[in-house]
Amino acid sequence: MIKKIFKRLGLKDKLLGLIVPFLLLIIWQGAVTKHLFSELLVVPPLTLLNTLIELAKSGDLSSNILASLNRVLIGFLIGASGGFILGIAMGLSPIINRTLSPLVKALQQVPEFAWMPVIILLFGIDEFAKNIFIAIGAFYPMLFNTYLGVSGVPDKYHELAQVYQYKSHRYLAKVILPSALPSIITGIRLSLGLSWVFVVGAEFFGTEAGVGFMMISGRQLFQIDVVMAGLVVIGTIGFLLNYVLQLLEKKLSGGRVAFDGGIA
Amino acid sequence: MDIIVAKDVRKKFKLKHGQQVKNNGIISNEIDALGGFDLNIKKGEFLVLVGPSGSGKSVFLDIVGGLSAPTSGVVYLDNKPVDAPSEKTGYVFQQYALFPWRTALSNIEFGLESRGVVKEERIKIARELLSLFGLSDFEDRYPYQLSGGMQQRVAIARALATKPEVLLMDEPFAALDAQTREILQNELIRIWEGTDTTVIFVTHSIDEAVFLADRVAVVTARPGKIKEIIEIDLPRPRNGDIRSSSEFAANRHKVWGALKAEVNKAQQEWKLAPGFTD
Repeated sequence: MIKKIFKRLGLKDKLLGLIVPFLLLIIWQGAVTKHLFSELLVVPPLTLLNTLIELAKSGDLSSNILASLNRVLIGFLIGASGGFILGIAMGLSPIINRTLSPLVKALQQVPEFAWMPVIILLFGIDEFAKNIFIAIGAFYPMLFNTYLGVSGVPDKYHELAQVYQYKSHRYLAKVILPSALPSIITGIRLSLGLSWVFVVGAEFFGTEAGVGFMMISGRQLFQIDVVMAGLVVIGTIGFLLNYVLQLLEKKLSGGRVAFDGGIA
Repeated sequence: MDIIVAKDVRKKFKLKHGQQVKNNGIISNEIDALGGFDLNIKKGEFLVLVGPSGSGKSVFLDIVGGLSAPTSGVVYLDNKPVDAPSEKTGYVFQQYALFPWRTALSNIEFGLESRGVVKEERIKIARELLSLFGLSDFEDRYPYQLSGGMQQRVAIARALATKPEVLLMDEPFAALDAQTREILQNELIRIWEGTDTTVIFVTHSIDEAVFLADRVAVVTARPGKIKEIIEIDLPRPRNGDIRSSSEFAANRHKVWGALKAEVNKAQQEWKLAPGFTD
């Protein structure tokens, strides 16, 4: 009976993925309890759990998470829509592609954090600057995946659209976009994932709210447990975002296989 | 009355960089796919094109369908030169080219949607066609949930949905196994015999050509032109049993007689052109 339920939910495979983290937690707790490390520097898991509960109770946790998510959403929307539109243009027009792809590829080589001084000079350190910082990170995966999806529409679909006189917006809506959809969703997933990674970085500079801010102020006050709670929160939310979007990807691709980045 | 008239249709392709072919001993980076194709097709007839690989049969079909322009010459459809895909034409490809995001029913609706047919009417037409192909129970299935034979039935239904005057079929059964292929030939001929659609059908299979065709046009090795047109004098309606008749064998023999030399010629040329890959 239990076996059956496990099988239904595919829990068996998922439980495998929990074994190593669980063992690490035990070793970690044991090491601190046996005084291998100072409890001040390495917070044991049980203390960490306590901190998380307290942070949640005080409302600090949810307000910081919401502040970060809000930033992610705005930055992601700016960057991903830019990548989406440019990806369609480059995917549909070889001329636009050849004109822009060297520039895009060169700019993509610039590490995300190298943009920071430029952004601070141009936009200061206020909210908008953070949104732009996240948008730059969100831009590329959306651009490349949209481009791949659109340029990869099979020739036969183009011919079929021609045979049945599909043109302009109808062609885009009925043939190009549905065909590119799995790739576009992969783009959204990777782009949103990176936005979440970069929001924490953005919050290390001049903020008063957010998970990154929570960690920085924790470090300044030597609350190592708060810093580590931040890590746990970042990892968990990143994981959940990716998981939900992957489910969506599977559902919408209707039996077609989408790129999963090599890690399921 | 002739619905399609092809006059001296020629088509040259530029080869990709580094590829070359020998034309009459001269090395060239251009390939003559069609070399003066003349063909008249009667309204309502089932015409099958057979010819060796690379003889430009599919190229001719693309030109009739308005998907590709001839280098010179002209194809008339209902007395008008073809310069773009026409609403009178339907097309069935070898790779079924069904949309994976649409169900069987919705795939059949595709051609009707751009013609402004309302939803209820589209569904009615699509359901009728599904039932004609015995696929009524599969209307909600996605292409990956259908067998190859079922997918090609849906693709043919999609092409028939717009009630085309001319149906172009480019080796539609080539990817199917032998049994499924025969079954689909039987179904196609049964359904077609109830319509007045003109069909141009490309195949490599002589049996398929003889079974389906009113006339078989044998195309020469590259550059393709019509070598001979053979009237298939088998009675209609036809069914699968006709394949084992002596008349069938006689017709088969006639077609093979015209085709054999061209196939040999094509194979010789391929041996002589190591730089060219299909």
